[in-house]
Amino acid sequence: MAQTEKKGGLLRKSSTSKKPLKEKVVLMYDEIFTTEDPSKCNPRFWEELFLMKVNLEYLEGKLEALDGEELMKIKDNINCLFQHCIQALGEEHPIRVVNALQTLCALIRGVHQKNKSTSGFDIINMLVGFDKAELCMKNLMESLDSLLCAEGSESLKSLCLKLLLCLVTVTDNISQNTILEYVMINSIFEAILQILSSPLSRREHGYDAVVLLALLVNYRKYESVNPYIVKLSIVDDEATLNGMGLVIAQALSEYNRQYKDKEEEHQSGFFSALTNMVGSMFIADADEKISVQTNEAILLALYEAVHLNRNFITVLAQSHPEMGLMTTPTSPIPVMPVTPLGTTPPSSDVISSAELPLDADVQTSNLLITFLKYSSIVMQDTKDEHRLHSGKLCLIILTCIAEDQYANAFLHDDNMNFRVNLHRMPMRHRKKAADKNLPCRPLVCAVLDLMVEFIITHMMKEFPMDLYVRCIQIVHKLLCYQKKCRVRLHYTWRELWSALINLLKFLMSNETVLLAKHNIFTLALMVVNLFNMFITYGDTFLPTPSSYDELYYEIIRMHQNFDNLYSMVLRLSTNAGQWKEPASKVTHALVNIRAIINHFNPKIESYAAVNHISQLSEDQVLEVVRSNYDTLTLKLQDGLDQYERYSEQHKEAAFFKELVRSISINVRKTLAFNTLSQELLLKEFSTIS
Amino acid sequence: TTAMGDSVVDPARGTGLEQAAGSTPQGNGGTTSLSVITEGVGELAVIDPEVAQKACEEVLEKVKLMHGVSSDSLSKVGAGSEAPRPAAALSNGELGQGCEIKCLDDPAAVASRIQEEGEESKANTVRSARKRQKDNSGKQSWLLRLFESKLFDISMAISYLYNSKEPGVQAYIGNRLFCFRNEDVDFYLPQLLNMYIHMDEDVGDAIKPYIVHRCRQSINFSLQCALLLGAYSSDMHISTQRHSRGTKLRKLILSDELKPAYRKRELPSLSPAPDMGLSPSKRTHQRSKSDATVTISLSSNLKRTASNPKVESEEEPVRLAPEREFIKSLIAIGKRLATLPTKEQKTQRLISELSLLNHKLPARAWLPTAGFDHHVVRVPHTQAVVLNSKDKAPYLIYVEVLECENFDTANVPARIPENRIRSTRSAENLPECGITAEQRAGSFSTVPNYDNDDEAWSVDDIVELQVELPEIHTNSCDNISQFSVDSITSQESREPVFIAAGDIRRRLSEQLAHTPTSFRRDPEDPSAVALKEPWQEKVRRIREGSPYGHLPSWRLLSVIVKCGDDLRQELLAFQVLKQLQSIWEQERVPLWIKPYKILVISADSGMIEPVVNAVSIHQIKKQSLLSLLDYFLQEHGNYNTESFLTAQRNFVQSCAGYCLVCYLLQVKDRHNGNILLDADGHIIHIDFGFILSSSPRNLGFETSAFKLTTEFVDVMGGLDGDMFNYYKMLMLQGLIAARKHMDKVVQIVEIMQQGSQLP
Repeated sequence: MAQTEKKGGLLRKSSTSKKPLKEKVVLMYDEIFTTEDPSKCNPRFWEELFLMKVNLEYLEGKLEALDGEELMKIKDNINCLFQHCIQALGEEHPIRVVNALQTLCALIRGVHQKNKSTSGFDIINMLVGFDKAELCMKNLMESLDSLLCAEGSESLKSLCLKLLLCLVTVTDNISQNTILEYVMINSIFEAILQILSSPLSRREHGYDAVVLLALLVNYRKYESVNPYIVKLSIVDDEATLNGMGLVIAQALSEYNRQYKDKEEEHQSGFFSALTNMVGSMFIADADEKISVQTNEAILLALYEAVHLNRNFITVLAQSHPEMGLMTTPTSPIPVMPVTPLGTTPPSSDVISSAELPLDADVQTSNLLITFLKYSSIVMQDTKDEHRLHSGKLCLIILTCIAEDQYANAFLHDDNMNFRVNLHRMPMRHRKKAADKNLPCRPLVCAVLDLMVEFIITHMMKEFPMDLYVRCIQIVHKLLCYQKKCRVRLHYTWRELWSALINLLKFLMSNETVLLAKHNIFTLALMVVNLFNMFITYGDTFLPTPSSYDELYYEIIRMHQNFDNLYSMVLRLSTNAGQWKEPASKVTHALVNIRAIINHFNPKIESYAAVNHISQLSEDQVLEVVRSNYDTLTLKLQDGLDQYERYSEQHKEAAFFKELVRSISINVRKTLAFNTLSQELLLKEFSTIS
Repeated sequence: TTAMGDSVVDPARGTGLEQAAGSTPQGNGGTTSLSVITEGVGELAVIDPEVAQKACEEVLEKVKLMHGVSSDSLSKVGAGSEAPRPAAALSNGELGQGCEIKCLDDPAAVASRIQEEGEESKANTVRSARKRQKDNSGKQSWLLRLFESKLFDISMAISYLYNSKEPGVQAYIGNRLFCFRNEDVDFYLPQLLNMYIHMDEDVGDAIKPYIVHRCRQSINFSLQCALLLGAYSSDMHISTQRHSRGTKLRKLILSDELKPAYRKRELPSLSPAPDMGLSPSKRTHQRSKSDATVTISLSSNLKRTASNPKVESEEEPVRLAPEREFIKSLIAIGKRLATLPTKEQKTQRLISELSLLNHKLPARAWLPTAGFDHHVVRVPHTQAVVLNSKDKAPYLIYVEVLECENFDTANVPARIPENRIRSTRSAENLPECGITAEQRAGSFSTVPNYDNDDEAWSVDDIVELQVELPEIHTNSCDNISQFSVDSITSQESREPVFIAAGDIRRRLSEQLAHTPTSFRRDPEDPSAVALKEPWQEKVRRIREGSPYGHLPSWRLLSVIVKCGDDLRQELLAFQVLKQLQSIWEQERVPLWIKPYKILVISADSGMIEPVVNAVSIHQIKKQSLLSLLDYFLQEHGNYNTESFLTAQRNFVQSCAGYCLVCYLLQVKDRHNGNILLDADGHIIHIDFGFILSSSPRNLGFETSAFKLTTEFVDVMGGLDGDMFNYYKMLMLQGLIAARKHMDKVVQIVEIMQQGSQLP
């Protein structure tokens, strides 16, 4: 496949670029691919080479055509080329630097494609030679570092980042890419940070920088001390962290926007279809077709930032204007106003250099909101693997957020109200909520909405057990915070309760199918314990006394479900099967719910009998509930308000390995040749020279 | 006649007192004299000989009164001397002198002797001193004596400065200004500067040295001057000479040439020693944060930021620039907000703008409305609210500051990252604040200094969660604390714990009942909730959530930023209110008013010090849907409770005070949105945009002198109630007192009329 791609590129190239020039460089390449030292007959060979326009396709193709042994034979020349490339990076003339960078890309890719089976050490040997590797790579990294940090050309910087991305993603499994050991020793972390901290370079290269960082952090994450992890976890410069947040927000909202566009496009198409065909079944099919390539790399970056760096949490709440509506501004941000005397006082930074663009229609948003919207889109369809990964990662990020004190503080902040337009899956039995009528609420409501939405929309045969568990955990963690901090959130808890009860119902009705694959009792236990949390600690976080009454009402109304669950777990816990223990746990957890049902049901029946009513209204039931609390005794259960903290290393390592692999492959694919050999780039420098 | 000049005093004083005590006005002579009597006793005759003469004629008639009154007056006026002495001197003609001596204490020991010598011509000379101001050395000396006497206060100085046409006198007063207490002169700063701008050369020359001197001393003074000069010059034609005088001074101040000399090289010596988290004076891009932990990552980072233009140069920064930028950004935010259509959008934008502003803090900036030196360290952006206004967007922000000894020498505090919330539970930080049921008992634990392993979410956090400190809640009245203890102890002793469902339900309703009544959130009126929250409660809450909250010098201030409104009138109203307040205090009339501080930034923007714990009556009615009386009952308890009665008394006293203010200043545009009610029951009028016969565009016919609705009367207990009578009496007393010191009030307004478009 790659071959055809290159062919295409080659054809296109040959038609556009000048022939004689190309010929010359190809000839020179051919010289390298001999065992002779090319500088023997032409002492200025290397100097001349980097003045030639690189023919990436040819070089890479040539390398690929050779097998391991043949390559070994010309190792000296390859090493020589590699070294000269590094040398050329230090040259003043940008053309040479550009050519050297491109040649390096081709070299690294070519050698790797050839040596898929061989070890990383062979590759180092092949490219640099063991003896010189340390020094060479050090020089390379230092050159890249200074290029990235210099006040030089933006396209040059971009090319540097591409080269680094190329280097990082040459292997599918990043941890096997031994050459990265040198990237670890000679850190370019600071260069990445610098790119993120300045608005101009952030806009140009932010995305690449963030992806690069996310990948580097995942290099041998669990086996060794990765300096990028260490460094990322201690960054506390707000400008940098904000920069990172902005890049991520931009990428995510771009996705959201694309999705929305597609959806709208689709809807108009659908309506025309509706005129021809009548059938509501269609919606589900139609919806599946709307899919935009998810961006796991950026999500991974968000995860690493949230997970590793506590300071990044503040960035989540940092406001930025809704970006979907804006076209990326190209004009440079106005230079800081100069103070009267022309000196810069210590806090001339009081001037908001990054003033929010003024646009009345633009709703301010923040990274968290953008992320929640993104999650709502990604999580609605978890059928294909990429989306499953994305959805899972979204939930993991939310788990981290739900565990953080500071994040919780602003999630629950009564003064920070937002309208969050979550995407809701169109379903037959409900109307699409009008966007305009959304209330402005604390952000935690949006998180809870998202969880409720997930719970009610994923009860399917291919049951995403893992995601459900995470979802319930997030709700639990939020409740723990509310209980601990006495936050009385005005949320329509009823929606959550009924979603949870429906989930239990689903688990029971699909018992046999699900039990074959999953331990449904852990999930059932978590759900029941959420109810226990409401029942025993409701006084600490429910908004009104009547919401406590409503809780009882809901339990009593749906008592059938709890009864069935109880008989199921009782049955399984008395059998000496593999589910004995987990099932018996659920039995114990149900004790209060059963007490409530057993306490109130007779009361309600007698009330109905006394008043000669066949069907009690909600108000009547609530009346019965209210007047009979005092005779009900509940058992206090242990550890309802405690949870196990998220830990990546022990439980998620496999997932992240797999995720990083798929991201690597993806990044490599998108790192196409045309991005490396931009005509633009050459034009820019030809004018300079 | 020897004693005349002096003894005149007493009858005049006597009438004043009588009236203040509530009796009917005296004869004609009495009332005229009322208008000129000032607080001093001895100098009275000197100031206004006409009064003296008139009063002279009445002396004999009033002799009877003298006895009782003067002893009264002494304790009251209490110019700082022993009571028995004048009382003894009362019977004879020496009374006046006794008073004189008493009043002139230290510098006046000489002065009084002089007076003794020249008694005869006294009344005469003084009169001429005022009227003619000729080069009569004798007369001049009387004036001089007055000026040198201790009783010569700033109010008189200003008045002479304004009225005198004599360059010598003006120059003298200009010098004399240096002798007054700074705070006293500060009060008249608007007048001084307005005179400087709009009056002739001589006055300007007289004032300038003082202004320059003060500017050198205080950065805050410099700022105020610069702002006021700008604002008061703005009405003039651009090319006028005087105008350029005002602007010249302004430029001089802003150019920072008035930098105090002593400060010159002090800072560099300080900076190498960062003491306890305070960074060396200046905030560089890479601040000196927890250097120890970060050195690895920053070592190479620092070298890069060296090229960053933001990094300040070696030289001394411009003193006023950070503050001016701070103010400028606040105003800019206000201007941008005004373009947004809905309250909700405004609020959101405000919050996000402020969060950006936060990045630039702490800075060498301060709030001029505060009464102490401090640095602004953080704006808790989520607490900010947009206030109700039709087309403009005034907003209220809270500002966290760190108090410092001396703003000029203190270093700017180091920035603490937003999420570094310290444990607010340590006793030293939070001495018994009000405990409410809805206490957000967030046990925000200290974020451990970066754990460098790859699992940043270290395991010990789990431990922390399991050993959730139950004693956090022990101080609250409910028994949930035991509850959570139970949940832990039960883990150890495997005995099941039973609880009654009824208890849970009961606790829930009890806790909600115990929370102080708060307003519901209303997107159309976001400020209602924020303003209703008791100030102490808010301070505690914000302190808890602030990374700077643990510092002992932490303070919370608030300020309203107004754009598009001319606050110069508000400032005038503030001065008048303040003057009235002190008059009433001096005359012991228990009227209550609350002048709020104003910072005029330009002719169309400024800041206002908000009245804490107060919401507008409009908001109260909208939120509570109760009549004002019922609201009082709800907030303060039943009719006979002490709390209600106190609130009612407060209401009456403040209502009477403001009714007088409205009457005197002809305050218009009185609607419920402009009248606040505070937590103690006081009413407070705000928005003095229409005073002294200007009124809202289409409502020129607003005739009522002040606003007193039946609802107000109801709170006072109806038209027949005792409190309403008390109200009427207060009004009368207050009016009389105000009349008595009229010139002090009129003077403020009069001077400001110069060159302005004030009505």
